[in-house]
Amino acid sequence: MSVPNPPKCSPASLQMFLLALADDELVLGHRDSEWTGHAPILEEDIAFSNIAQDEIGHSLVWYSLHQDLTDATPDTMVFTRSWTKFVCSRFVEYPKGDFAYTVVRQFLFDCAELIRLKDLTRSSYTPLAQTAERIIKEEHYHRLHSQGLVERLGDATEESARRMQAAVDQAFPQSLGLFELLDCENELKTAGVFSGHTVLRSMWLDEVVPVLRGVSLKIPVVQDGAEYQLKCEPEDGGRKKLHTPHLQQLVHDLQSVHKLAPEARW
Amino acid sequence: MDTQWETFEVFHQSKRGDPHEHVGSVHAPDPQMALQLARDQFARRLKCVSLWVVRSRDITATDYQDGSFFAQVTDKSYRDPKSFDAPDKLEHP
Repeated sequence: MSVPNPPKCSPASLQMFLLALADDELVLGHRDSEWTGHAPILEEDIAFSNIAQDEIGHSLVWYSLHQDLTDATPDTMVFTRSWTKFVCSRFVEYPKGDFAYTVVRQFLFDCAELIRLKDLTRSSYTPLAQTAERIIKEEHYHRLHSQGLVERLGDATEESARRMQAAVDQAFPQSLGLFELLDCENELKTAGVFSGHTVLRSMWLDEVVPVLRGVSLKIPVVQDGAEYQLKCEPEDGGRKKLHTPHLQQLVHDLQSVHKLAPEARW
Repeated sequence: MDTQWETFEVFHQSKRGDPHEHVGSVHAPDPQMALQLARDQFARRLKCVSLWVVRSRDITATDYQDGSFFAQVTDKSYRDPKSFDAPDKLEHP
């Protein structure tokens, strides 16, 4: 790769960027794991348990890159950090809800992650580019799975259409929070770490809108020339550590065993 | 109304050239989803290079009740290859 490394970007900005990636994957992975033993069909139970492990595995990779810059181990970041210090988007914090909500959330997230990973393969920060190249193969199959469910449930029966539409109404404005601008947004863009959230969001809309509309699901966007304009308020805040109480509960559960026995090894 | 997805039989191949072996079944709405769900269930830990899925209802099978289908009513031992050594293992082409 002919790009400079390390890039012209402060370590603090890179840390924030990596932490946002890692926290999103960890928290959504945890939510997916809540389907273990509870999914509506055995095959989906196994599939979501599998995806949960994959997402948490991705978070470990991002936390490890974060560690290279800070020396804070992934375990420290996950098991001892206060929930008020997480920088995940609020989108991934919400309870798993109806299975339709989980399916829609996973689809919106998988598409966003794939686009982000494709973009990161060209990152000026070489460790990020190499890692993205590695993870992208797995994420491709997540999307096949979640998009497969969206396409089959979106307009299959009266009940599935109703539940999927309710899920989209709830999840879509939340999902826009994945593209919340970071305080260090311009610095990261200029340094070539990534293309910026505005560009990623526009690419993401180009992919998700046709899939959802293809199965008659309504989404609050209008086409304006080649671009989509939003007709709803994105649910931002997560990157600024403004979280929902759901995250507090989730982090409490996630850290409970560690709190009981901090010295335990397994 | 039966809202259960139908079942697909899953055949797993661990190496190119090896036979696809039946490993179990999955519930799925159609063959494409069946392949994906089979991947999660049978190709995650087992080494796998190829999967087949086929609708269970497309398999025509014999009936266990119909034992006479396989009955040997006369001595057919002369058909057994007893007078020469058959190699245990034949190489795949």
